[in-house]
Amino acid sequence: MKFILKIFILTLNFCLLSCGQMRNVNLYEPSKSVSEFEKFPYKILFTGSEENGLWGLKNNTCKSISFETTKNYIGKDHLHINWDASKCNYVAVGLKWSNYKVKNLEPIIESSAIELRVRIDSGEISNVPMFFVLSDYGGKQCRANINYLNLEGGKIDTVWRKILVPLQAFNYKKRGVNMSKVKELRLEFQRTGDIHIDNIVIVQHNHDFHKTNDTSVKAFYSWPVQLGIGREHWWGINTKYSSCFQFGESFTNESVLVDFKKSSIDPQWDMFGFSPYCWKRVDISSIFSTSAIKFKIKADNIPKIQAFIFSYKGDKRRIQKILNDSNFINKENGIYEAFLPLKSFADFQEFRWDELKEIRFKILEEAYFEIGEFQLIEFRGNPKKPTQWKGI
Amino acid sequence: MERNINLLFYLIFNFIYVLTSYSQVSKVEVTTNSSGNFELKRNGVPYYIKGAGAKDHFDLLVNSGANSIRVWSTNNKSLLDSAHKHDLTVTLGLHVRPERSGMDYNDEYAVKGQIEFLKNEVLKYKDHPALLVWGIGNEVDLKYGNFKVWETIEILAKFIKEVDPNHPTMTVIAGVDPSKVFHIKKYCPSIDILGINVYGSIENAGTNLRKFNWDKPYIVSEWGVNGPFEARKTSWKAKIEPPNGLKADQRQRRYKDLIEKDKELCLGSYCFLWGQKQESTATWHGMFLSNGNPTEAVDVMQFCWTGEWPKSRAPSIKDISLENIGWRKDHILTPSTQATLNIEFSKYNNTEVVVEYVLYPEAFSNKIGGDIQKSPDPLKFEILNQTDNELTFVTPNSRGAYRLFAFIKNERGQSSVANIPFLVK
Repeated sequence: MKFILKIFILTLNFCLLSCGQMRNVNLYEPSKSVSEFEKFPYKILFTGSEENGLWGLKNNTCKSISFETTKNYIGKDHLHINWDASKCNYVAVGLKWSNYKVKNLEPIIESSAIELRVRIDSGEISNVPMFFVLSDYGGKQCRANINYLNLEGGKIDTVWRKILVPLQAFNYKKRGVNMSKVKELRLEFQRTGDIHIDNIVIVQHNHDFHKTNDTSVKAFYSWPVQLGIGREHWWGINTKYSSCFQFGESFTNESVLVDFKKSSIDPQWDMFGFSPYCWKRVDISSIFSTSAIKFKIKADNIPKIQAFIFSYKGDKRRIQKILNDSNFINKENGIYEAFLPLKSFADFQEFRWDELKEIRFKILEEAYFEIGEFQLIEFRGNPKKPTQWKGI
Repeated sequence: MERNINLLFYLIFNFIYVLTSYSQVSKVEVTTNSSGNFELKRNGVPYYIKGAGAKDHFDLLVNSGANSIRVWSTNNKSLLDSAHKHDLTVTLGLHVRPERSGMDYNDEYAVKGQIEFLKNEVLKYKDHPALLVWGIGNEVDLKYGNFKVWETIEILAKFIKEVDPNHPTMTVIAGVDPSKVFHIKKYCPSIDILGINVYGSIENAGTNLRKFNWDKPYIVSEWGVNGPFEARKTSWKAKIEPPNGLKADQRQRRYKDLIEKDKELCLGSYCFLWGQKQESTATWHGMFLSNGNPTEAVDVMQFCWTGEWPKSRAPSIKDISLENIGWRKDHILTPSTQATLNIEFSKYNNTEVVVEYVLYPEAFSNKIGGDIQKSPDPLKFEILNQTDNELTFVTPNSRGAYRLFAFIKNERGQSSVANIPFLVK
């Protein structure tokens, strides 16, 4: 009987204790969400020489590398590198980063950064010629440098300072690096330096910066294009120093009144020019082959002038042509229309038509005339006989 | 006792003098004088810049008549301190990263980081007594394509206007060009002075600035001899460098005829380079040799700045030829054969000179805009006979491009140099 009572009491206790620890659960409780960052398994790049593999540790005339065991930030030792890159083409240390396992950084690119701690032995510096290079398994590399915004305290001194290098700061898009198959991280060093490094890890980081659009280029895909609008985009017209050129009033758009004499005070002042569009890099690469520059001249006689076109980039940055009678149509009352097919310029094929910079005119003989109303028009005639094309 | 009191007064006076001179910020401003010409005034006194791009040899710089140095970045405060001790002012560069170094001006993060860093540098140095002018960026326009860099320049110039009313702002461009002038005029209104680095293009720089409607003052922030980028090349792409004597003559003419004569817009100049650097060769721009010896270019600058030549002048190599073919031509030699190099030099007032010849491998480089280049090491070669004017030697056994240098110096170490590139094939 006593035994049965004992069993009963024990069972009751068990039930009471068990009931006390029970909780209500939903039948379909969602599983706890794990962020991409948390899922990323390779968060540690360097905490000590025994734990993490490195290469490029051999000392030479350009670098001295050691693992120091005192004043560590974390672990048993830290990296101390002293370098002078003036006599070497390349000074770097590589981190094998989980023994060269393939790292997929794509899911964490927007939410993570490489964090490390640095210090120097004495003094204070605000930048260090050190670069971070990620390389993929295809051998492509992208790089980032230390940004003042993510340098703790804006300086490196004798205490361990935190540096963050957001993964988005790497120029992986430009370099075509496959961020889903990253192999290693390299630390590259330039000029000279002496620095202690410890605790290189991947951390969560919100990078709130963007890439802005390129505003330096203006592309044109159709005609007509009004050229040189706005007097501020012209040069060579400065009546304080030369009376050869001044802005005219005879035409609707900008024009230049030319009163050129060889005996001018400055005989070199025989040119003027303008930007096709606001001194931007003008891209007419899709229409240049069927384009001509059209302009008007008001004169008693056709002046002897030379036209130049300049580009911002390319091996051939200047092409030129001396105009002749075949470029002009007499519209009566002293007005001439000029047509200058772009394909009539020598070496036009070598010219970067996506980098057009400037149109310039040189006055070759004494002359008095007004020139203006510059346009880029469609032209599909013979470049050598521009005025014979029926389309103009 | 009286002597001790005098000594005490002397020490106190010196202490106060040093303290006040170091804490005194100079007020520098751009004004126009009674002739309508632009003028720099430092503490109310007209200040014409007789300057050099320099990091050392300050004693000789001061003795040669200079009053200012230009440095390209803020990474060495001791330079400003040293300049101040020598009573030299400093045009201090804020290193705005050029696009060609990998900087992306569409990258907000990189742009903002650079601006904040440089703002901090401005705050660090704005009260330094040696500071004359801020040089915001150097040749950021060289091979660039993103004009947003001028926004960074303006942000920094505007910030300087807010925090440092005592020093004018300048940005420095590589050569004069209408598009650059437009962009700076339009997008950098807080820039007071245009700095122009002009070598061959110095010949028309003043006229071109007026043609391009630049209406503020300018400083010739780098000038000297025609640069390697402007030089003729041999058929194997080695740059042909004129002998130092000719380069010195060119410096003198350019200073006297071009820089000094533009009283209206030019506030002064910084010759390049009061020191030594490798740019195609080790001797192209430097007015000193790598061993620290001054060349005749230093004498020329003393003449330019003071109107007087130094009592002891460096000898000066005026011509150099190899196998009786002048330095302007190609020189192609066969391996392990005898060849003769000749030099002609002016001895000036020197009684004794020492001539030395050194052979180097050609240092081809694709770096531009003064970017850092590495110097090659000299090569051993066999000399058969040597006089002051002639060297007979054996050409290298290995095929390749070489450059033979002739160095000449007087008892004081004042030197001259010339070289000839040659190809062994």
